[in-house]
Amino acid sequence: MKIKIRKRYLFYFLAFTSAIITAIVSGFDSVAQVFISNPWALGLACFIWGVIISVLFSLILSISYKGKSLGAYTIDPTFKRVRLLKKQELLYHLLAGLGNAALTIGYFLLLSMMKGDVSVVLPFSQIVILYLIIIESIIEKNTPTLIEIQSSIIVTFGAILGSISLTGTISIEALLIVFLIINPGWVLLSIFQRKLKMMKIANKPNDAINIRLWNVIFACIISAIIIMIFDIISKSNYLLEGIYASFNHYFWVAIIAIGVFFSFIFYIRALGIGKASVTQAVKASVIIFSIPVTIALGYFGITEPFLMDPVFIVIKFIGIVLILLGILSFALTLTKAYIFIRMKPGFDIEETMKKLWDVRGVNRVCAVAGHYDFILKIRTRTLVKGYERILRKVEAVPGVDEYKWQSVLKEWEDI
Amino acid sequence: MINAYILINLKPGDTDKALSEMRKINDIAKISVVAGEYDVVVRAQVKTLEQLLKVTNKIQMIKDVNKTTTQVIEKEIAL
Repeated sequence: MKIKIRKRYLFYFLAFTSAIITAIVSGFDSVAQVFISNPWALGLACFIWGVIISVLFSLILSISYKGKSLGAYTIDPTFKRVRLLKKQELLYHLLAGLGNAALTIGYFLLLSMMKGDVSVVLPFSQIVILYLIIIESIIEKNTPTLIEIQSSIIVTFGAILGSISLTGTISIEALLIVFLIINPGWVLLSIFQRKLKMMKIANKPNDAINIRLWNVIFACIISAIIIMIFDIISKSNYLLEGIYASFNHYFWVAIIAIGVFFSFIFYIRALGIGKASVTQAVKASVIIFSIPVTIALGYFGITEPFLMDPVFIVIKFIGIVLILLGILSFALTLTKAYIFIRMKPGFDIEETMKKLWDVRGVNRVCAVAGHYDFILKIRTRTLVKGYERILRKVEAVPGVDEYKWQSVLKEWEDI
Repeated sequence: MINAYILINLKPGDTDKALSEMRKINDIAKISVVAGEYDVVVRAQVKTLEQLLKVTNKIQMIKDVNKTTTQVIEKEIAL
């Protein structure tokens, strides 16, 4: 028997699980930096092991038992087996891979520029949530609402405050890397991974495991090419150092790669349910989950001990409260509804369907046989907006004879 | 694959029990409790019309279900 759970719970479960794994991985990241001090070499080693681990785990998860794969039983119900890319996925994978490579290279550029201390500059990468809001306003049919924009700004500023450090320096060049390389890289990665997740492959939903596997392969190849070009220009030897580091310190790098693999599986699944900006905002909770990791790392002497300065604690606390408030506001303000429509005779079904689909906030249009002619699924942040922006537009579509609005109170879905 | 919406009216009584019975039916992909003319909207995913009949039958066998209206999806556009 399939399990039906509430979709909203599933989204937050996936996004929070991804954040928790990311927080733990960040701890191993700090340990790995002790062994591989060159950030470029560490980055490449992580990608090389990322490919090895992703291939290995994807093959293990492809093992079939009673007609279902192990992956489908455990982490992704839509996964069947590892497969080759379909033609329609190629461009999206290329762009998502480029995004992943850009943000990783940007991060390591920052590390080498700031001599390892990126704690003041890196929090500004949380502004990626706002980048995603802007991009979604342009390319997505379901544009962000005022509440989503407000909540995103609250989470973004909370995330900056929650992760900022009182030590370290700040420079224009470093900020430019964050704003022009790291954040656009995240945008490319999130938007195109979401597009891949929403894609139907052989009439079935695309699975997160294959998306992750191919993303890391593309990102590894693109990163290696970028590092090679960098090596030629700067006469450095980072490509070889990275390959050596992946052999010499395989243990820590492999652990990071395992964590990142699972973190991304949950993140990609969450992207398939929520908008990229909302998923990213919920994932900003990584800052909260990172606190115990930071304390543990300080306790074992791997990093500087957790600063107990009262001002620092107050700033962190305000940041965490803002993150929680923003996430809560996302969670509590989504309204869904069905609209059942009966049409007058003499109006083309396909044409009417297109007109209904063009109404903002309409997430699904079904032409049906039975008592009604169309069933629409609506997602809106407020009922007022549902009335003004959706219902008024729907009733203005030529041929609509009668409509019934049914607000969704509670919903369960197969996972 | 045949997809259909089944619109359900319930008798006043134990809605939670009726919902938990529906959640056990395999070919139901989504259950939405709604406010309006209907009480529950169910999305069924089946391979044949025969299976759809079985799903509708199972729903109608639930004690508090008063009436069902089945709407078979002919074409769909979704995000």
